Amino acid sequence: MLLEVKNLDAGYGFLHILRNVSLSVEKGEYVCLVGPNGAGKSTTLKTIAGLISPIGGEVCFDGETISGLAGYKVARRGIAYISEEMNLFSNMTVHENLLMGAYTVRDKQLEKNRLAFVYALFPQLEGRKNQLAGTMSGGERKMLGIGRALMCNPKMLLVDEPSFGLAPLLTEDVFDSLDTLIKEGGTILVVEQNVTKTLDVTDRGYVLEHGRIELEGPSAELARDPHVRKAFLGV
Amino acid sequence: MQTTKAKSELNLFDRVLDLLSLKPLGAIGLVILVILPLVPPFNQEYLIRWLCAAALIAAASVSFDFTAGFINIVNFGYYAIVGLGGYTSAILVDRFGISPWIGIFVGALSAGLLGFFLGIVTLRLRGIFAAVMAWFMGLALMGLATKAVWLTRGSLGLRVERLFDSPSNLPYYYVILAMMLVTYVITKGVTRSDMGLAFKAIGQNMDAARTSGINPVYYRIVNFTLSCTLAGLLGGFYAHYYGILTPEMMHTSKTVEVLAVAYIGGRGSLWGGAVVAFPFIYAMEMVRSSLSNLPGLNLILYGLLLILVMIYYSGGFAAFFQQHFSKPKNIILYYLVNGKKTA
Amino acid sequence: MITEYLKKLYETIRSVAGITVVLAIVVAILSSIFRGPYIIVNTVVTGGMLALMSIGLALVFGVMNVAQFAHGEYFMIGSLTAYYTFIPIERYLGANPNAALSFLAPLVSILAAFCMGALMGVLSEKLIFYNLRKRSRTNWVMNSFLLTVGISVLLVNGHQLIFGTELKGIVRYWTGRPFCIMDVFVSRDRCYAFILSVLVIGLFWLFMKATRTGRAIRAVSQDETGAQMVGIDLSGIQVLTMALSCGLAGIAGASLLFMFPSYPSVGLDPLYMSWFVIILAGMGNVLGAVVGAFMVALLKVLTMEYIGSGWDFVVPTALIMLILIFKPNGIFGSDVRGVLEQ
Repeated sequence: MLLEVKNLDAGYGFLHILRNVSLSVEKGEYVCLVGPNGAGKSTTLKTIAGLISPIGGEVCFDGETISGLAGYKVARRGIAYISEEMNLFSNMTVHENLLMGAYTVRDKQLEKNRLAFVYALFPQLEGRKNQLAGTMSGGERKMLGIGRALMCNPKMLLVDEPSFGLAPLLTEDVFDSLDTLIKEGGTILVVEQNVTKTLDVTDRGYVLEHGRIELEGPSAELARDPHVRKAFLGV
Repeated sequence: MQTTKAKSELNLFDRVLDLLSLKPLGAIGLVILVILPLVPPFNQEYLIRWLCAAALIAAASVSFDFTAGFINIVNFGYYAIVGLGGYTSAILVDRFGISPWIGIFVGALSAGLLGFFLGIVTLRLRGIFAAVMAWFMGLALMGLATKAVWLTRGSLGLRVERLFDSPSNLPYYYVILAMMLVTYVITKGVTRSDMGLAFKAIGQNMDAARTSGINPVYYRIVNFTLSCTLAGLLGGFYAHYYGILTPEMMHTSKTVEVLAVAYIGGRGSLWGGAVVAFPFIYAMEMVRSSLSNLPGLNLILYGLLLILVMIYYSGGFAAFFQQHFSKPKNIILYYLVNGKKTA
Repeated sequence: MITEYLKKLYETIRSVAGITVVLAIVVAILSSIFRGPYIIVNTVVTGGMLALMSIGLALVFGVMNVAQFAHGEYFMIGSLTAYYTFIPIERYLGANPNAALSFLAPLVSILAAFCMGALMGVLSEKLIFYNLRKRSRTNWVMNSFLLTVGISVLLVNGHQLIFGTELKGIVRYWTGRPFCIMDVFVSRDRCYAFILSVLVIGLFWLFMKATRTGRAIRAVSQDETGAQMVGIDLSGIQVLTMALSCGLAGIAGASLLFMFPSYPSVGLDPLYMSWFVIILAGMGNVLGAVVGAFMVALLKVLTMEYIGSGWDFVVPTALIMLILIFKPNGIFGSDVRGVLEQ
């Protein structure tokens, strides 16, 4: 197992959101976490990424416990988290943002390779190299966010709502790029509200409701599940 | 409805205390303060002088906390406003020969006007910006007092007629004690009304307060005007007590002194600063006079205490008291602390 | 290409910031013509050191959200350190003269001041701000501001307790005839102080723009969460920022020792002035702080020239209040956060 979350409890201050959440992701897998608004999907990702410290439970990555570590230490272990709002450095250029993504990479050659890789994945970004990140459109910001996360050659990506605030056409683009990453051997845990689309592309899925994992299984099976169909697909 | 019923159940003594927003324990403290300068060893002139200084700081910290603890704006030019009240009164008395007793109130009025103005100009500013604005206003006032030599005699100091002819400090002490009580009663009365809630709402989240129908403009102006009027009143006392005014009295370090007392006493409590001021100023003066070969040590303790309180006990003395002493088992003690027979 | 560039320049000039800067330059030139070029010389020398102070102030606000009230105290620490480094060296030089050493001695003192300032900055962060941050982040800006008030009281009176209140100053760092620039005699100390400030600002600029760590500081000022996401250790950056900011204030204090002898509250005037600058430029705006420093210096010099000394305090204050009322984000300010970007 690359990532293993065991009986995780988490929340903000007095607000207890996650209860006993367990999930696991294997190397090379494309896993999704779906559920209604406020179920605690984003909280799960933030807790794994170390931005929130868990109340109870354990997160293991690559065989080592990472729960309770500060966010930057988790990032240095090779987990790249892409938040809903991207958290770009809006007063830096696209290029500088990408360089910041490679902050933990000390090897200049590797940095160059990663930069070439990201520009190949998102050719639009190369054309806007010297534009300030804050002045870009939603789709471009998304690409830059993913690009920045890929700069440190992460072992795993945590993606929060890739389709959030994007037009359908752009959403396709973003999902396509995630697909490419999987084909090249990447590992992704994605959180989405667009359940149909997500279950369509991922290998396996978890359904989170009221802070608990209600269902889990291969995505194709989940898409056929009567509860899921009724609750999320409106069928 | 319920509160009126509860109030009518109180006897006359308790009703008066309630009107003054005092708990029985506070009343006892006040009585002690009144008789303190009459009993040895406190009846020496230099000790009464310390008491006067402490009462002045106590009153200042109450009216300072009225702004800082409630609408969450640290009035960093506080002592400049005190100075404005003092100078106005002193100049009026000096030039036009009016009685200092009237001068003090005119001085308070002028400080209140400035507070009104300050309230208006800081309307668009939040938190730290408003504090900085008040600070610069204070600096400008101090600069003016230094440079307008024809009016204030600048740093030579302006000689001021004193309130009483007698050289004794005792009558002054009772005047400042009364001023302290008045400051407390007025500010506490205001914050106990609905207005206090509005102040707190504005202080915590101005946008949320605005959306729930509170007009921050009005409340901010009221708060600043009242706090500054009281500051001006204290300034008048300062002028006619010490008998000399220099621009140095408007210095930021004076404000810092009041700020430290108010925060160590407990922000948003009003009474905390007043209670802490007496032992505090007393201890400071003790340190200063007994360790005169170590100048500045008392102020180092000041700074250290302020830092420690800010980090580890941000509620100050008032929160400490509330936490440990507000619910004693003994029924008499309970009455003394809470003013009610039972919970 | 050139027309496009000119168009951009024209648009910059038409903004509020542009108008103010152009106005300041015009006023400076006019007054120099009518009163003599010493106005520009004085402005430039004062402005350089003021810029060092203001950069530090803006940096700490931009990165850590701390409104530093104790910034003048690091200036004081700088001047004190320089005094106690320079005096022994000077005494040694009096016994055995050495041309190279007498040129280097002031630089050594200033370097020592930088290190001492940085050390005190690190201590304040580690012992004070870190503890508050760990315990509570609510109402952070105001609480940390009050902490800096405490630090200021502590340092000023610590100086008084240990070193006394007497003035600890020197006559000059560098001996030799003053330079003659534009018919104005400028002492060597002033000249070198200005050159030093330009050099330090340049180095600082390079550090922030071109190095990995400098970029990380800017990243933290723009988005703390984002910075954590790419693996930046926030607490490390905070310590570094504090060290840099206080170190710069130390340099300013040390290189102005010939003008401001060290005594407990020597930092007060530089503190006020650098606060004027960052209010004018917009808090947390390092680039604006450099420009703003020269404008405030000009304002100060002009007030002294036309209205009289002593008023140099009242006039800028009044102006700053107007700016706060009408443009609370400063004339270069915008809603965008960041320390090196406008």
